[in-house]
Amino acid sequence: MRRILIFLVIIGAVFLFAQDVLAGGGGPPKNMLKGFFEKVNPDGTAVFLVDTTGERKILVLPKDMKPEDVPMDRKVLVSLVTEGHGHKITNKIKSVSIMFIDLPTSKVIALLVVGLIGGLLSGFIGSGGAFVLTPAMMSLGAPGAVAVASNMCHKFPKAMVGAYKRWKYGQADIKLGVFMAVTAIVGVQIGIQIQKYILDHWGNAGSNLYVSLMFVIVLVVVGAYVFYDAYKLSKGGKEAETTKLAKKLQSINLPPMIHFKTAGIRISAWFTIPVGVATGMLAATIAVGGFIGVPGLIYVIGASAVVASATELVIAFCMGMWGSIQWGLSGLIDIRLTLLILAASLIGVQLGALGTTYVKDYMIKIVMGAVMLIVAVSRGAKIPGYLADLGLRPPLDPSTTSFLNSVSFWALVAALGTAGIIISAAMIRGMLQARAEGS
Amino acid sequence: MKKQKSKGPLFIKTMVFGAMSGALYYLVFSNVDWVTKTYTMGGWHTVYPVGTALVFSFIHGAFASNLLALLGIEAKGSH
Repeated sequence: MRRILIFLVIIGAVFLFAQDVLAGGGGPPKNMLKGFFEKVNPDGTAVFLVDTTGERKILVLPKDMKPEDVPMDRKVLVSLVTEGHGHKITNKIKSVSIMFIDLPTSKVIALLVVGLIGGLLSGFIGSGGAFVLTPAMMSLGAPGAVAVASNMCHKFPKAMVGAYKRWKYGQADIKLGVFMAVTAIVGVQIGIQIQKYILDHWGNAGSNLYVSLMFVIVLVVVGAYVFYDAYKLSKGGKEAETTKLAKKLQSINLPPMIHFKTAGIRISAWFTIPVGVATGMLAATIAVGGFIGVPGLIYVIGASAVVASATELVIAFCMGMWGSIQWGLSGLIDIRLTLLILAASLIGVQLGALGTTYVKDYMIKIVMGAVMLIVAVSRGAKIPGYLADLGLRPPLDPSTTSFLNSVSFWALVAALGTAGIIISAAMIRGMLQARAEGS
Repeated sequence: MKKQKSKGPLFIKTMVFGAMSGALYYLVFSNVDWVTKTYTMGGWHTVYPVGTALVFSFIHGAFASNLLALLGIEAKGSH
């Protein structure tokens, strides 16, 4: 116990150090203001009240923005381009987004449906949902930062309920989850700094390209392996075995050795760190850390798919809570969106969690592999556009851009739909079988 | 043979948590102007969205759990 406490103190110190060294990580972009327009001046400027500080700023309207286009009575997010030095700094408006979108019934229904299936997926494979919820909110009109913040605030309560349920079923290893979460937070900080470095050197297009490439490479490589493994298990009818890598790592006696009771693993804490850091880095890059966390727990640490997916919910809770506080500090959470998604996802996550008790271990891998590969298509379709933005290929014609955008959107819908169908079918089959055996 | 559980107390629990959850949703959405303004003030106001999400997860989560059990959808071995 003492050794574990000392280890946690070391990790905590590393985390604090990382926060100091890599200061400024987390939260929303800095070139963004939140508040209200108070007045539009005849000289093409506007007075803007920043709601968090009460400070008033003079902003320069872009040439194509007419005074009547300035939304006067609604809270907005303004993205800025700062020009000049010293006292001659001008803040030029780049774009204005209404912070709180209107929510007619059709949008409410869309949020409930996506929330329900996203929750089902989360409860079943331990992650997912975020990759489709954030784009879904953005396609309904929410500004990107608000969509990310509101999704984050929905993620941690959903993960908490899912983790609790799966802990009750004897699947979630709380200790392993907390260990992984602490190191994942360090990974998030590193991931954010890499993002910032790329943003500073290659701009927005470079950052988009990096995110998409990471998405496609990780999802294709890891997703294909998970899918292949699941396929082998489903054909062979054998139970999943611990990988050679995990067995080798478990046999190395490097203190502190930690026993994770639910997972049934005894492994050096130092081997859990790289998996946790990689999970956090991916979470900071593509917002779905579980796509590396769950396979990492299975193939590197040696947990079963059921325990890995359940433990991922503990990690998602810790990281989601931390992330939500960060976004809340910047005041970017639209609680209406959060609560509407939660209304359905809290049902979905419990349905997905109980579904795992009816299926074989490889079913979780099949769903995970399938979702990862389809999401990779969605992100891959964006790459030609980003390459064109960077001047690495000729510009795309509008019809190609529109076609690729449709491919990207519908691939996400297909990923969610496929997951929903596979999980529901496997669950119903398992339930019917259990009832037949019981009667 | 297992004794069939009575659905009476489960029904009452589902209704109570359902009513509490409904009341909370009504409270937020009927005061949406105040809520959206206050919750997005930043700084210490972060306790509002984070706290609200937590409260909803307990109340609405309990409602969802009881509703699924009432519909007979339970984990293997808990019937």
